[in-house]
Amino acid sequence: MDFDDTPDEAAWRSRVRSFLEEHRDELGRRSDQRGFDDQAARRHQAVLYDGGLVGVTWPTDAGGQGGTPMQQAIVDQELARADVAGLINLIGIGMCGPTVIYHGSEDQKSRYLRRLLRAEDVWCQLFSEPASGSDLAALRTKAVRTEDGSWRISGQKVWTTLAHLADYGILLTRTDPDVAKHRGLTMFVVDMKAPGVTVRPLRQMSGGADFNEVFFDDVVVPDSERLGEVGDGWRVALTTLMSERLSLGGGGTEIGASATSVAEHVAAHLDGLPEGRRALVRQQLGRSYVGALANRYTGYRLLSKLSKGELPGPEASAGKLAGTQVARDLADLAVRVLGDDAAYAATADGSRSWQDLQAVLPGMAIAGGTNEVLRNIIGERVLGLPAEPRADKGITFKESLASARA
Amino acid sequence: MNFDLDDEQRDLAAAARDFLTDAASPADSRAALDDGAPVRPGRTALVESGFATITVPEAAGGGGGSVLDLAVVAEQAGRVLAGPSLVTFARAAVLLAGDHERLAALADGSLVVAVVDGSGPVIDAAGADRFLVLRGDDIVLAGGRATVRDAIDPTRGLGDVTLADADAEVVAADARLRWEHAERVGRVVLAAEGLGAASRALEIGVEYAQQRLAFGRAIGSYQAVKHALVDVYVQVEQLRSLVWWAAWAADQAPDELPLAAAAVKAASATTLEQAAETLVQVHGGIGFTWEHDAHLFWRRAKVDRFLLGDDVDAYDEVARLAVAQVSA
Repeated sequence: MDFDDTPDEAAWRSRVRSFLEEHRDELGRRSDQRGFDDQAARRHQAVLYDGGLVGVTWPTDAGGQGGTPMQQAIVDQELARADVAGLINLIGIGMCGPTVIYHGSEDQKSRYLRRLLRAEDVWCQLFSEPASGSDLAALRTKAVRTEDGSWRISGQKVWTTLAHLADYGILLTRTDPDVAKHRGLTMFVVDMKAPGVTVRPLRQMSGGADFNEVFFDDVVVPDSERLGEVGDGWRVALTTLMSERLSLGGGGTEIGASATSVAEHVAAHLDGLPEGRRALVRQQLGRSYVGALANRYTGYRLLSKLSKGELPGPEASAGKLAGTQVARDLADLAVRVLGDDAAYAATADGSRSWQDLQAVLPGMAIAGGTNEVLRNIIGERVLGLPAEPRADKGITFKESLASARA
Repeated sequence: MNFDLDDEQRDLAAAARDFLTDAASPADSRAALDDGAPVRPGRTALVESGFATITVPEAAGGGGGSVLDLAVVAEQAGRVLAGPSLVTFARAAVLLAGDHERLAALADGSLVVAVVDGSGPVIDAAGADRFLVLRGDDIVLAGGRATVRDAIDPTRGLGDVTLADADAEVVAADARLRWEHAERVGRVVLAAEGLGAASRALEIGVEYAQQRLAFGRAIGSYQAVKHALVDVYVQVEQLRSLVWWAAWAADQAPDELPLAAAAVKAASATTLEQAAETLVQVHGGIGFTWEHDAHLFWRRAKVDRFLLGDDVDAYDEVARLAVAQVSA
C-alpha cells in the first residue's frame, strides 16, 4: 500500500506540471471571481489542447492522446493544484465527444472531434426534458423522417448547460412512439445555430444562468448527422452516460470548497464566538471534515483501480452521493460562522463567495444523477436489491402516455 | 497510487475469517448475555491462533506484522463480534515495545493483561490480572482486581479496575508519547472491528430485504428500505477507506496518525451505530426480538462509541487538529 506515483505516472505528472507553470498566464484561474468570459475560456482550452492535456484518454485518431484514465486523473489534479480555470467544453469532452467516437461516421469524426478538443466548437448535451428528467426514456421530442431522408425535429429540452454558447449538441429524440419507450429513440448531432433552434437561459436559484431551455421548431437535421442506428438511441445514450461516469470519476478531487479552505475560514472566525458556540461549531466541522477525508481516501481507492488499468463500476456513484452531502455541510457551516452577516447575500465587506457556494450546491446533488437515482443504482447493481416494479413495462410509449393520463 | 490491500493481506483476511467464523459468532454474544458464558473465541484461542499478536515482533513469538495486517484481521473479528478485543493486544504490543520478556509472555498467553485509561470502563478487564497504566509519564504494569459489571455488550469484557500498587513495575519511563501512540493504534484497531461489525450488519439487512415480502414484493425493492441500506453501504465503504489510511499511517506516516486515528474513531462510531439501527429497523418486529442477532450488533455499537474516547470527543479532536493545521 502506498500513495506514490509509479515512475510512469511521476514522469507524466512532472511533464503536466511544467507545462502548466510555463503557460500559467495563458490559462485563467478557477478562483477568479470576475464572472465567466467564454471567449477567454475557449482560448484557455486551446492552449491546454496544444500542450496535449485535453482529451488525454481519447484515441489519437480522434485527436486525443491515447492515454490512460490515470493520466487524465493526474491532469485533473494538476489543473486543480495550479488553480487553472475549468475547461469550457467539459461536457463535450466527457460525453458528446465519446458518443461521436463510438457511434459517429468517419465524416463526423473528422469534422467535429479535433475542433471540440480545441474549443473551436462548444458542445452541449440535449437529453432532459420538462417531462423526462431521471426517467430519460420518457422523452417526447419528436424526429420525423421527411421524403428526402432528412429529419424534422420538434420539441423541447431543458437544463441544458452551455446551450446558449454551444455550436453543436447531441440530441436524443423519439422516432417511434409505437414501441416500448426505450426502443423508439434515435440520437443526432444538431447544429445549435440551425433555423428553428431557440435557446432561452434559465435563471437558477443561485442567481446564475448556466443552463437553458432549448426549443426545436421543425428543425431540419440531415440523416448524415444521425449517431447510431434508427431506434438505437437508448444504447447510444448509455455510451454517453457511461462516459460521464468515467469523466466524473471523483478520484479524490473535492466538490465545492475544499475542507482545508473551510477549516481556514472557521479558524478565522472561531475565536470570536462564545465558548459554548465554539464547541458546537467544532462538532460540525469535525463531522464534515471526517466526511471530506473519507471521500478523499475513497477517491484514492478509485484512483488505485485506474492506476492498475481497471475501470470504475457502479460503486463509483457513492463518491458523488457522499461528496455533494459533505460539500453542502461544509458550505452551510462556512456561512453559519459569518454570524450576523450570515443572513445577508454578502458580508459587510462585500464578499459573497460562501453565500454563493451555498446556493449552488443543491444543484450538484441533482445534476448528473439525483441522489435518489444514485441510491437506486447502488442498491440494485451493487447490493443486489430488486428493482421497483414499473408502470411502463411491456407497453409502448404511446400507451404509457395514455395510462399516465388515466 | 496503490491504496489497496495486497494479495498477502487478502490471504490473511481469508485465513482470519475461516478461523473466526468457526471460533465465534453472535450466538456466543447472546449466550454471554443469557448465562454469562465466556466470550468467544476467548483469550487462549485468540493467542494460540497467532492472530492476536500479529504486531508483536517475531523474535518474541509474535507475527512481526504491521498495524494494517492487524486491522485486516480485526475487521474479520468484528464481523462475528469476537472477544476479547484485538485492541487490547495491539495496545499492549506498543506499550511493551522493546521488552522482549513481557512481549513473549503476551505472545504465549502467560501475560493476561488489560489497558487502563483514566477512570472509565476498562476493555477486556474480565479475566485480566495484570494492567498497563500511565502513571505520570511512566508506563506501568500493575496487579489489580477487575470488577466486571452488567454490560450492554457482554463481548467487550468491560469492568472497573482497582489497581494494586504494591507490585507495580515501571515498564517504560518517560514514555507519554508511546502511551499516546498506543492509544491511537488502539483506535485504529477498534475502528477496524467496527468496520467488520457494520459490514456484517449491512449484509444481514440486505439478505433479509431480498427475501422478505410485503404487499406482494420484496421489501428491498421499496426505495424507503433500499435507500436506508445504501446509505449504510456508502458509510461502510467510506469507513473502510479511513481504516486503511489510519492503519497505513500508524505503520508509515506517524505525522498523519493523530488526525487519522481521531477521524477513524469518530467515523467508526457513527457508521456502526447507523448500520445497527438500520439492521433492526429493516427487520421490523423480528429485529426487535432477543432471538435475532440484530440487537447483538446494536449492543456492540452502543458500547463501542464510548470506548477509547467517545465520538463527540473524537469529532472535536478532528476539528481542533484541522484548525491547528491551517493556523500553523
